[in-house]
Amino acid sequence: MNGGAASDVAGELRQVLVEATGREDLAAMSEATPLFGGGAGLDSLTGTLLLREVHRRFGVDVAAEDLNLDSLATIGTLAAYIAERAR
Amino acid sequence: MIVKCVIWDLDNTLLSGVYLESAEQPPPPDPAMLAVAAELRDRGILHAIASRNPPEAAQYARQATGLEFAAAECGWDRKSDAVQRIAADLGIAPDAVAFVDDDLYERAEVSFRVPEALVLSPEDMADAPGWAEFSPPTVTAEARRRAAMYAERRLRQQEAQAFAGSRDEFLRYCRTEVTIAGATPADVPRLHELSVRTHQFNSAGRAMAEPDLRSLTGSPAHQVTTVRLADRFGDDGMVGGCVVATGERTWTVTLLMMSCRAMGRGVIEALLAWLARSAAQGGATVLAVPCVVSARNVPLRLALAGAGFRAAESGPPDRPAAVFSRLLSGPPPELPDWVAGEAARR
Repeated sequence: MNGGAASDVAGELRQVLVEATGREDLAAMSEATPLFGGGAGLDSLTGTLLLREVHRRFGVDVAAEDLNLDSLATIGTLAAYIAERAR
Repeated sequence: MIVKCVIWDLDNTLLSGVYLESAEQPPPPDPAMLAVAAELRDRGILHAIASRNPPEAAQYARQATGLEFAAAECGWDRKSDAVQRIAADLGIAPDAVAFVDDDLYERAEVSFRVPEALVLSPEDMADAPGWAEFSPPTVTAEARRRAAMYAERRLRQQEAQAFAGSRDEFLRYCRTEVTIAGATPADVPRLHELSVRTHQFNSAGRAMAEPDLRSLTGSPAHQVTTVRLADRFGDDGMVGGCVVATGERTWTVTLLMMSCRAMGRGVIEALLAWLARSAAQGGATVLAVPCVVSARNVPLRLALAGAGFRAAESGPPDRPAAVFSRLLSGPPPELPDWVAGEAARR
């Protein structure tokens, strides 16, 4: 897939994050914002909701394929990971 | 698998008649089912309602039975959907749910769509207190308060939805207090219960027997730790714990567990930060958490990744496992400010 697909995915991920965390400000987060910790404040609860929704929408089971969950570094890394695998 | 929640049909199941046929004077509870339900409640098993009735029927059932219901789904859509919504709402896996209905068609529908659930007729249910699925090995103080804690959880979730700030701000607003302390022999029954009941946050993927836990609490080479949680909505009691083999260079967490009720409440982050600080103070350079890798404990892997742990694969392909570890060089992680008591001052 091309870069356009990844940025579409990133837009959809922002929506999912807003729903999972209840934080409207995440709708405008940059692709380089860290998902864990001070960035998007992802924790095990919101992270699980995010991964479940990614699986449902894109058919990509991140937890099964990425042991270290490195793809969850930022919105950009996760979008690229999904765009490469989603069909 | 121990059943954590029984989901009841009302008409001709928990009630001895049909609610809407006599709305003026609804039918009383079925005495046999009520006795079973009260016995299971005293063992710490939750109750919920899935009924083809208006919502008033659930209120009536509460008042007529004197039971607390952790969730109630009243409506006319599929019972399997109601069962799945209740399980998701309570954070319970479908294989820890029992569904009781007198209607053969409803039982078939739930069995087909939620095959993990235990589906029973009222006649089956009469014998249920004698079955292993309904006999938790120990009944702790936490188990007896479980229904009340789910009611407190519902209030907390309602406030969280209306709350404008971040999760951490909400935890402070709730006056969240996480208390981390060394385990005593009196804590062993609850630690054992946690090891049986936790799946989403259980590193070992199996239970630890009481005698093993008891001997570890006295072992100089190990540290057994308890985690308690309370806020202004209520006291959740002991929600987590861990067992650490305190080696010279490496501290190895042989069991790390937390109740899924405590998810999203800053507990696992607090425990992981506390462990890293304690290990560094104890002179270790590495903190390691061997972990089974399964679809069920993804929340634990998320917490480990969020706390800076890195995984190396281990274990045979049929039982995938990994060792998550974290170097202890550099400044120790900050303890969240909701960590209370002795641990926070160390």
